[in-house]
Order: sequence, then structure tokens, then C-alpha cells
Amino acid sequence: MNRRTLLGGLFAAASVPALAACSGGVTSLKGDASGSGGGGSSKGGVTIGTANFTENQVLGYLYAAALTAAGVRTTVRPNLGTREIVIPALRGGDIDLLPEYQGALLNYLDPKAVPTEQGAMQNALTLALPAGLQVLPYGLAEDSDAFVVTRATASRYGLSSLADLRKRNGKLVIGAAPEVKKRRVGAVGLREVYGVEFKEFKSLDSDGPLVKGALKKGDVDVANLFTTDTDIEANGWVVLSDPEHLIPSQHIVPLVADRKADDTLRKALARIGNLLTTADLTDLNRQVDKDKKDPEDVANAYARRKGILR
Amino acid sequence: MTIDWSWIGEHIGELASLTLSHLEAAMTAVLLGLVLSLPLAVLAHRVRPLRGFLLGASNVLFTIPSIAVFVLLLPVSGLTRTTTVIGLTVYTLVVLLRNTVEGLESVPARTKEAARAMGTRPLRTLLAVEFPLALPVIMAGVRIATVMSISLVSVATYIGDGGLGQLFTDGFQRDFPTPVIAGVVLTLLLAVVADAVLVAVEYALTPWRRSRA
Amino acid sequence: MYALVVDLARWLTSGSQWTGPDGIGHRLAEHLQYSLLATLIAAAIGLPVGLLIGHTGRGAFLAINLASFGRALPTVGLVVLVFLAGGLSMLPVYVALVALAVPAIVTNTHAGMTAVDPDVKDAARGQGMRGHQVLFKVELPLALPLIMTGLRLALIQVVATATIAAYVSFGGLGRYVFDGLAQRDLVQVLGGAVLVAVVAIVLDVVLSTLQRVFALPHQRSGARRSAPTGTA
Repeated sequence: MNRRTLLGGLFAAASVPALAACSGGVTSLKGDASGSGGGGSSKGGVTIGTANFTENQVLGYLYAAALTAAGVRTTVRPNLGTREIVIPALRGGDIDLLPEYQGALLNYLDPKAVPTEQGAMQNALTLALPAGLQVLPYGLAEDSDAFVVTRATASRYGLSSLADLRKRNGKLVIGAAPEVKKRRVGAVGLREVYGVEFKEFKSLDSDGPLVKGALKKGDVDVANLFTTDTDIEANGWVVLSDPEHLIPSQHIVPLVADRKADDTLRKALARIGNLLTTADLTDLNRQVDKDKKDPEDVANAYARRKGILR
Repeated sequence: MTIDWSWIGEHIGELASLTLSHLEAAMTAVLLGLVLSLPLAVLAHRVRPLRGFLLGASNVLFTIPSIAVFVLLLPVSGLTRTTTVIGLTVYTLVVLLRNTVEGLESVPARTKEAARAMGTRPLRTLLAVEFPLALPVIMAGVRIATVMSISLVSVATYIGDGGLGQLFTDGFQRDFPTPVIAGVVLTLLLAVVADAVLVAVEYALTPWRRSRA
Repeated sequence: MYALVVDLARWLTSGSQWTGPDGIGHRLAEHLQYSLLATLIAAAIGLPVGLLIGHTGRGAFLAINLASFGRALPTVGLVVLVFLAGGLSMLPVYVALVALAVPAIVTNTHAGMTAVDPDVKDAARGQGMRGHQVLFKVELPLALPLIMTGLRLALIQVVATATIAAYVSFGGLGRYVFDGLAQRDLVQVLGGAVLVAVVAIVLDVVLSTLQRVFALPHQRSGARRSAPTGTA
């Protein structure tokens, strides 16, 4: 490549992604199609987005089953990415509804938020949400982040709570999804609340094969998993306790764009929220991860068993 | 690693719709790339100073990882099919531009002079003489761009699209090889069939070359 | 846009960004290691195959078709498949990168060999050269420009695609792209992409310089042509 064409090319190429990236926070140039206050309608159909881990897909299909039973046309878009990716997509209008988690959502919207009790958190969420989005009443089921070590690691270093990790500051490797490095319920909060410094943060996946494989192999000492994962018990892993309440209550909560929120949608989602227990959800996750059933089939079978779908 | 044939049997419909969605993304990108590259190639061919700039720029685009292109498009087009298609078009454009320029340059100067001597206007020379003669090289580019595009679509699975690529992330998360194998095999089949169709199209478009074969 | 350029400049120039296990220095070294090793392995497979089918003229149809079949292999699928079959290691990444690079090397080497004038080969044989002497003293030097074209194309593609290592927990510059995606940190993604492009371009310039230095006198002008993208 001769030098002049090379330089010319560099300039031309550099301006393309730069132009693309400068429009900032909102995902889509279509803009905020909401802002309609109370007058949403689910009549035109609802697109449900889900994040990139098993449980969120199960929840997405459960929402779809409940909405279908209520006569709402639904599309599920599985596996879209992390919260940092899907919430802008919800604001931009690419999707309308997301299964969310109270505490993690609040931390995303307002990293300084203090409430950890579920009722107070619901209020805080309503305050912190940007215009055009709303949370519906939270469901029975809960799923929290957990920081987990193997039994061998726990006994070797005497670890039973997150505070104990400080004894090994600068010596332990933590494995988690890449976004956890920048999250409060993650490396940031562990440093600020417990004074924990890790030797290394390994970017892996959200309670998936990478992080669990790395914990098994000993490539990481501490892993970020979800409390609804049956692998924790099956492997005898130790969930480190959280005396300072860094990890908030995490009831599952529907996050919806105002433009789609009507009574039909509220009632359908409240119905599934009131039925689905943490034990149910744990079992549904297991069916997908271990029995290799489709999240959609698992969700529909559950909805049928509970008399939501016929 | 075993294949769960019953899974495949139960998912024929889904596999078919993913294959179609995959093909649609790849073909749209090739067509868009063609529409953009033909005028750019003529420009690069006719205006010498632009030639180096355009080819150099496209070479640089080729060195950028496709996943990064998709992510950097998120503020513009969001988690949509549009993002996938724009991202793929960047790469088809690179291949098509280069091959079209090469094709136009392969047309002998004598042929063009003959056309001019006969009083043919420049635009007509381009459409009736230069493009047809450049067609084999352009079609070679179309074939490469198509196969490359079909293989690249799956990268868009990281932004929630990706056609058959969705089978890869799904199988990965669940430690389940069957969807992954199905996705790889269907991608390869798609590429082979698309390539065969393009060979047939080229054959139909260049009747004057047949006697030479 | 201005803000983004400023952020990118800050990201690229801050001292802390260059050091430590997640620093640019370390990621750059990892990326170079993955790319160069994968291209070397691909060359060790692709060059002999291309030379052999070019020299003997046998098996060309099969090899060229297999190569174009190989171009269609989806890298993400291949990485996941080898990961599920063999567990977590760098193997899935190397398999996918080598599979990506071999077709370009085989097809361009073969094209270079077939472009050698048959009269020249006949003349060499007429002077009493043996098969391997014709191959190494006549065909190989004459085919070198196209062989190098194949290697450069393979290397550019491998450098861009080595980003995938980050998907299966490894390092390299892809770490910035995948982490930036998960964190929606576009500056980090752009920084990773720019670094990958710079690595690819620098390596390409190095190879084209080598090509010029080792070229036969009459080939020198040809080597200066800009990088290939999909030739042969």
C-alpha cells in the first residue's frame, strides 16, 4: 500500500465511525417515539427484548405467553445483549418491554441510589426512570447477583463473606461478565463498600459456560453468578454473604415503554408476576440449561400448567 | 459431540426462517454494495487522483473488525436489521469496488478507441462496451462478496440479529452443540447454493464467452 | 463528533491505559501473537498445498473448490463448535483463524504458479533442471508476488478477525471491542477498532516492503501495488 493512498484511506475511514458515534445516548435516530404519558396502547403488538442470559429469555417468553393469552400480539427478540445495550434500545423504540431486576436496574439508572428494600426501591425506580419508560409492579420471584467461590477456596482462605475478600487483596482473580467491571454490584461496589481489590478482573459471560468453567478450572477465584442457578448448589459452591447490603433486593419487574403500557398489558404481566415463584424460575432455568429445552417451550408449558395459556 | 436429531426435527421451521433471514441480510448487503460501488468504480477509473483515495479508503475499512462496525453503528440505527445490513455493506463495497475498478481497467484501450472512433458517446461506451467486457471480473467480485457476506452475517448475533448466527450464541450459552452444527452446515449450504446461482447468472449474462470455454 | 475524537485521543494516550494486564501494551502483544502464529500455521499448510497443486497441476479443482468452501465458514460458529467439543483453550480461536487464512494462501499460491509461463518451465527443464529445481529456482521466484499477495490478504483478515478471541475469554485487542459492547462504551470500541486497523496496516506495509526487497528486479514495480482484497 503506498503511503499516499494509505493516508487518504485513513482519513476517509476515520470519519465514518466518528459520525456514527456522535449522536450519543439514544439508540436510534427514530428518536423517542413515546412521551405520551398515560395513553399507551398494546393494541399494535408488543416487542419484548431480552438480555444475553438464559433466565432473561425464559422471562421474556413467559411475558409473551401472558400477553398472548390476553390477546396481545407479541414478538420476542432473544439475546440482544447487556442492560447497557437493551435499555437504550427500549428508549429508541427498537423494543417495547423488558424483563428487569429491581436492584440492578436502579443501580444502572442511578448509581448513587441507596434503597435496598423492595418497596422503597420501586419508588426510587419510578423517580430515576427517564421520560417514556415505566416499571410495573414487581413479581414474587427474585434473582440476585451472587459472588461465589469454590468450597476449597473458601476453606483455604477462610472466606464466608464479601468482607473476607479483603484479606486476600491483590491476590484473587474475579470472573464476571465485562459490564460487571463498571457496575456497582460488581468491581466498583466491592471496592467502595468492602475495600476489596482484585489482582485481575477477567471478562467472561453472564452466568454462562465461560464463568462457570473458569471457576471449576481454578482460572478465577471468585465468580459472579445468579442465585437462581442450580449449578451453585450442584457444585457445592459457596455464596459469599453480604453484611453491608451491597447487593440489593432483586425482584423481577417489567420495564415497559409508556407508549405500550395499557391495562391489558399491566394485568397480564401482574398475573404472571403473582404466579411465578423463585423456585419455579430456578426450575425453568434448569430445564433450558440442563435439559436443553427451548426457553419458549419451557415458558409456554409453564403458562399452560398454570392455566394462563390454553 | 453428538447431534440431537430430534432437536433438528422439531426446529425445521425455525431453521428455515433463520436461513431465509440470513440470506436476506447477505443479499441486501451485496446489492447495496453493488449499487454503491458501480458509480464509485467509474469515478475511480476515470478520475485518477480519486482512484488511490477510494481504493485506499476501502482497504482501510477492510481492516476494521466487523463486530466493531456493528457496535459503532448502534447510535445510528440501533438493534435493527438496518445495522446488520449497513455493517455488511461496508465489506461487500470493499470487494466490489476493487474488482469493478480492475474489471474496467482490463478493458483494452483499443476497444474503447474503436467505440469512440465509431462515434459512440461516452455513457453508451461505458454501458454497452466497458461494463459487459468487465463483467467477468465484476462477477468474480460479486461471488467473493456474496460468500464473504454470508459468512459474516452471523457476527451480527452480538447485536441481537445475525440470522443463523443466533444458533451459535444459543448453543454456546447452553453448552449445546446441535444448533451450532446446524448453523454452520446451513451457512455453508447457503454459500454453495448462492455461488452456484451466481455462476449460472454469469453464464447467462455473457453469451459471447461460451464458445471460448 | 469532536467530543468523540477528543475522548478517543484521551483513551489512546493516557498512561494508565497502556500498562497492566488490561493495558494496550499487553493487549497489543497478545493480538500480535494470535495473528502471527495463526498466519504462520496457515502458511505452513497453505503454501505446500498451493505449490504442489500448482507444480503438478493435479488436484487443483478439488483444492480450489475446498478453499472457496472454506471462505464461507462462519468464524463465530467454528469458534463455538470447537469450544463445545474441546473445552476452553486457545484452540477454537486458532482453528477458526487458520481456517480463515488457508483459502487465501492456497488460491493465490496456486494462481501464482499457474501464471508462470510454460515456455520458461520448458526452458528450465531443457537446461537439465530437475522437478524440484524447476519448482524452487524458477516457479517459486516467479510466483512470489502472487504468493505474497495471498499472505498479505490472509494476514489482514486474521488480524481483524483475531478480535473473536475475546468472545471466548481471551485477550487481544478484541477485549476492548467486546468489553466496550457489554458496557456500551463506544470510545473503547472505537479505540480497539482503530488499534486493530493500525496493526493490520503496519503488518501489511512490513510485508510489502519485504516483498519489494526480495523481489526479482523486473517484479519490483509490481510489488508496490496496494494491498489486495479479494484477488484470485
